[in-house]
Amino acid sequence: MTQPAPASPMFWRFNPEVFRLIGIKCGDCSHISYPRTKICHECGSQNLEEYKLPKKGTVHTFCVNWAPPPNFEPPIMPIIVDLEGGGRYQGLMTEFGAPEDVKIGAKVEMVLRKLTTDRGLNIYGYKFRLVEE
Amino acid sequence: MAGIIGYGVYIPLYRIEQKEAAIPWGSWAGGEKAVCGADEDIVTMAAEATDNAMKHAGVNSAQIGAIYIGTASSPYIEQHVAPILAETLGLRPETTMIDYSGSLNAVANALLGCLDAIAAKRITCGLVIGAENRATALGTEGDANFGAGAMAMVIGTTGTIADFEGLHTYSTFFLDRWRSAKDSWVSNLNDYRFDREYGYQKHVAEACKGLLEKLDRKAQDYTYTVFAQPDDRIASLPSKDLGIQKEGLAPGIASILGDLGSCSAFVSLAGILDKAKPNETILLASYGSGASNAMSLTVRNQIDKKRRLIVPLEKYINRKQYITYTSYLRVKEHVKRGPY
Amino acid sequence: MRGKVAVIGVGMIRFGELFDKSLETMIQEAYLNCLKNVDKRIDPKEIKAAWFGQWSGGFIGQGAQSGHSLTSMIGKREIPCTRLENACPTGGDTFRHACLGVASGLYDVVLALGAEKMRDKPAAESLGGAGGGGGAETGNHPAWMIGQGGPAIQAMHATRQMYELGYTMEDFARVAVKNHHNGTFCPYAHFQFEITIERVLNSPVICWPLHLFDCCPQTDGAAAAIVCRADLAKKYSSKPVYVMASNVGNDHNQLWDRNSFIEQQSTVKAARGAFQMAGIKPSDVDFAELHDCFTNTELMNIEDVGFVRKGEAARRLKDGEFDMHSRLPINPSGGLKAHGHPIAATGLGQIFEVVTQLREEADKRQVKLKNGIGLQHNVGGPAFGVAVVNILSRSP
Repeated sequence: MTQPAPASPMFWRFNPEVFRLIGIKCGDCSHISYPRTKICHECGSQNLEEYKLPKKGTVHTFCVNWAPPPNFEPPIMPIIVDLEGGGRYQGLMTEFGAPEDVKIGAKVEMVLRKLTTDRGLNIYGYKFRLVEE
Repeated sequence: MAGIIGYGVYIPLYRIEQKEAAIPWGSWAGGEKAVCGADEDIVTMAAEATDNAMKHAGVNSAQIGAIYIGTASSPYIEQHVAPILAETLGLRPETTMIDYSGSLNAVANALLGCLDAIAAKRITCGLVIGAENRATALGTEGDANFGAGAMAMVIGTTGTIADFEGLHTYSTFFLDRWRSAKDSWVSNLNDYRFDREYGYQKHVAEACKGLLEKLDRKAQDYTYTVFAQPDDRIASLPSKDLGIQKEGLAPGIASILGDLGSCSAFVSLAGILDKAKPNETILLASYGSGASNAMSLTVRNQIDKKRRLIVPLEKYINRKQYITYTSYLRVKEHVKRGPY
Repeated sequence: MRGKVAVIGVGMIRFGELFDKSLETMIQEAYLNCLKNVDKRIDPKEIKAAWFGQWSGGFIGQGAQSGHSLTSMIGKREIPCTRLENACPTGGDTFRHACLGVASGLYDVVLALGAEKMRDKPAAESLGGAGGGGGAETGNHPAWMIGQGGPAIQAMHATRQMYELGYTMEDFARVAVKNHHNGTFCPYAHFQFEITIERVLNSPVICWPLHLFDCCPQTDGAAAAIVCRADLAKKYSSKPVYVMASNVGNDHNQLWDRNSFIEQQSTVKAARGAFQMAGIKPSDVDFAELHDCFTNTELMNIEDVGFVRKGEAARRLKDGEFDMHSRLPINPSGGLKAHGHPIAATGLGQIFEVVTQLREEADKRQVKLKNGIGLQHNVGGPAFGVAVVNILSRSP
C-alpha cells in the first residue's frame, strides 16, 4: 500500500515552492515561474535565479467548477492570478460568498489553507482570498 | 525578563449563533461563535496570526531561534505542526520547533518554554503561537460553545511593546474536561460548580496569588486582568478572590467568538494590547486541566510607535459571515456524504 | 511530407456509449472497416508497420499500454507497432507518425489506428481521469492542480474571451447548435439530434461560464487510416487523398506559464508550420475539422488556426459563415460536441471525415469543394500546450 501523498518524496520536494513560494526568475527573458527549474520554460536559458513569489496580486481569469473531484464540495473556484511585480500563480479561491464577487482585476492575497486530507495527513497550500478594501 | 516584540491574532470569517447548535437538541446556549471554514484548521489559523505578529514585530525569520505552538486540537498525536509553520516562515533547521499539547494550558506552557529558553540564553527571540479548533460531539454543550481562533507573539528582549516581569504556575492533579486518545471529541460530562470552583477558580487564584507575592504587588494595582474565558462569567470568580474590580476585567469574548480553549487568554490579551497605553499593567492567567500559569506584564512606549502595524482583534471580530446549521454540521464533519 | 504520402483507406465505427463493445471489439471493427474502404482491395499482409493511438493506457477503463496490443488484436504480430499518447491530439499525432513512417522511405504501407474506451466508468469519473483529480497523480502539487481539468481550463479561457473579446455564453452555445445540426447528418456521430441555444444555456453549469451542453461528451470509439507512398496510392484506391502537411505545435505545459488565455499558441504554431509545409494559406482551405472539446474552444481554434482574426469568430459564426453549406464549413461531422470525443480515436475520426468529404462521399453532409483541401486539428494537454494539424488534399 502506498504512503499517503503528503508523506511522499514528491510532496517533500515541493515544500519550498508550496510553503515558501520559492520560484525562479529568468535573467534573460524575465519570465517568473514555479516550481524551480534549471532551464527556463519560456526561452530555454539556464540563467535562472531563485525568486520569492509575492502573496498579493489581481485576478487574471477564473472559472467556477461545479463538478470538482470527489471529496471536494462544489463549487470550487480555480483562478489564475497576476502577481505583484510579475509572474502568475494558479490556485483556488477561498471565502468567496457568491462566485459573482470575484471579478477579473479584483485584488487577492494568498492565505494558507488545508487543501485536502489523505489517510489522516493534511495537505496544506496557499489559496486566494479577496482583499478587503 | 523578556517581553512581547509583536503580536497578531486570527479569527475565522464564519459565525453561527450558539443556540442553533443547542436548540435542536433540547438545550440552550447564548451568544455566537467563530467557526473554521472547511479548509481551515489550527495550522492555517496559526499561519495568519503568525504573519500578523511578524509584521507587527518587524523581525525577520533569520532572527527567530525557536517556534513553540500550543493547542489542544492538533490534527496529530504523532507528528508535530510547528515545522509546517516553520516552513512557511523559512526558519532554519537549527531552530527549536516544539508542539505543546495535552491541556488547555498548552499555549501558556509554550510561552513558559520560550521565556525559559531566553532566560537560559539559548535563544534571543522566539515565536509563541496558540491556535484552537476543538473537536466536538454532535448535540453536546461543547458543540454549541467551542469557538476557533489563533494568536501569535514574537518574544524577545529588544524593542518590546510589553515586558513580562514575573511568572508563577500552580498545578495539581485535577480532572475536569477531557478528551481521550480514543475519542474524537471533548467530553461534556462535568460537575459545573465543582469544576468551576475547585478547578478554574482555585488554580487561577492560587497562581495569581503566588505571582503577586513574588512581585510584592496587589491585584487591584493592575490596569487590566486577562484570564482564560471558557465562558463570559467565570473570570469574575477568581477576580473576586483577588479583590479585582469588575472594570479591570477584559471584555467577555466567549459569547462573541466561543470558548477558544488554550488560546482564550491570549486572544483576550491581544484585544487588550490593541488599546493599552505605555506603563499600564496586565495580570494574565491561563487555565487548563488543573494547571494555571499567571504572568505579569508592563506595557512599554514602543506600543504607541508600532500601533499602526497591528491588525486589531476588533477587525477580525467585525469581519463575519453567518452560516446555517446544516453548513455547520458539514464543516465540523458531524455529517458525511454517504460512501456509495 | 508534401507529395510523399497518401491515404488509401479510412474506417471507423459509430462513436457513442458502446457498452456492449470492448476495446478490442472496437479496434477490430474499425480496422476491418478500414480495409474494406480501400476500394481496389488490399491484402492486409501489405501493411508493414502500425502506430496505435491509445490515450488512457487503462486508467479509466479498458486501455492498452503498448503497441503490441494492437498487432495481436488485428492478427498482425509480424509488424512493428508503437503505442502513441499525446494528450487530446493523440489521434491526429498517430496519423502523423504513420505519415512519417511512409515519408521516411522505410515503409510503403502503414496503419494508424486510435481507440478509446471511456464509458466503462461513469462519465463524471472519466472526466476526472482527464486531469480533474487534482491530487498527487497529477505529478504536481494539489495547491496548483485541484479542480483543474479540461472543463476548468477551457472555462478560464472562456472567462477571458468574454472579458477581452466581448464574447457571450450565447456565442458559445451557438457552436453547439451548429455542430449538433451537422451531427444529424452523420451516421457515425455520437449525438444525432438538434439542440437550441436555450437548451444549452438552461443545462447545468459544469464550470462557469460553460454549461453541460458546452462540453463534448464522454465517448467510446475507434477509427483507422491506411497510409501509403503517394506514387503507389492509385494501385489501391481510385480516390486516394494526399497529405500536404502534418505538424505538431508545442507550448507551455503549466497553465500559469501561458501568456494569453484567448489564444492557444500550440494551435497557432501547429497551424503556421503546417501551412508552411503545405505551401498554402488558410484561405485555401475548403473546410476544417477542429477540436471543439468545448464550444468556446472552437471559436478560439478558428482564430488560432488563422482562418479569421482574433475576436471575429463569434460574429462570423452568427452570420452563418461556418455552417455546412457556407464559405468555410467547420466540423461538418458534428465536431467533438456531437460526433464525440473518444480521445485517441477523435483525430482519426476527423481524418475519416476529411477524407470522406474530399472524396465527395459525405452524402447529406457533403460540403462544397473549391480547392479540394481539408484541415484536421486537435489541441490538448495539461495546459492545452500540444496541438496537431494535418492538411489533406484530393490532388497530389
